[in-house]
Amino acid sequence: MKKILILALILTSSATFAKDISVKVSGMVCSMCAQGIQKKFSKLPEVKDIKVDLDTKVVSIITKDNQDIQDSKIKELITEAGYNVASIERK
Amino acid sequence: MLIRFVGILLFLSTFPVFAHPVIYKDGIVVSSSNMQSYSDNQLMYSWSNRWSTGLNHWRFTKEDKNTELGFLKLNHLLYRHNGESSQGNIYLHGGVGIADSEIEKRQTNDAYMTGFEVDWETRTLFTAFKYYYFTSPKVTDISMAQARVGFSPYEAGFEQLQSWFMLQAMIMPEVESEVILTPMLRFFYKNVLWEIGSSTKGEWMLNLMVHH
Repeated sequence: MKKILILALILTSSATFAKDISVKVSGMVCSMCAQGIQKKFSKLPEVKDIKVDLDTKVVSIITKDNQDIQDSKIKELITEAGYNVASIERK
Repeated sequence: MLIRFVGILLFLSTFPVFAHPVIYKDGIVVSSSNMQSYSDNQLMYSWSNRWSTGLNHWRFTKEDKNTELGFLKLNHLLYRHNGESSQGNIYLHGGVGIADSEIEKRQTNDAYMTGFEVDWETRTLFTAFKYYYFTSPKVTDISMAQARVGFSPYEAGFEQLQSWFMLQAMIMPEVESEVILTPMLRFFYKNVLWEIGSSTKGEWMLNLMVHH
């Protein structure tokens, strides 16, 4: 019973964590053109914050608690913005 | 008159430039390029990351007389290379509309345009070339070629002001017999770009562009 309770607590607490998704993007050399990426992801209700780093070519997406974004959706939005996804990592 | 009205409307609704005929899906570009010898005002909607459609007004001035052209224009991103630290693009353009010219005698007729544009850039280097051809039976035939090279002395961050030094060479044989060389400064901050320059003949250039 105690084990079940602990397990339930762990599962509940981990489910409320926000996701930090790092997307490596190819071709992102112009800050003005990359504004489209920020605009696209900011519209998603799951997104809490988004940061674009032109030095590392990484777009960091922080989701709201208990929210996630599918890789296919990320690829779709990056492609619509005119770029290519090189890799996706989740923390 | 209609062409002039559309041109004024585009300019007022404004803002202007070189490239970005197709941006992200559902993006809108308003741009205006202005020199004494010509102006180019555009309002474009990108309905995909490969295609955009919109209104385009051109003015060419020769010996204080104007030729104005208004088009419904279609732009296509034919090819994009997204490298690790660079991007290259090839665009195709086409348009149908009307032309009105004061040169020789006042004439108005249907008009057509076609062209292409190529560019390659990194965060500190920029090169571009574009060619346009405009024709209106019995009114005008105008060709225009522009080439640009530029460099930025630093790599600006995503939300920092980016500054560029650029040189533009432009040929419009039917309007101006000489090559027009224009050194200029380009700046952009977030979704707004502006350029200011002066040609070797003393012609001012002022360009603006906004992505929305």
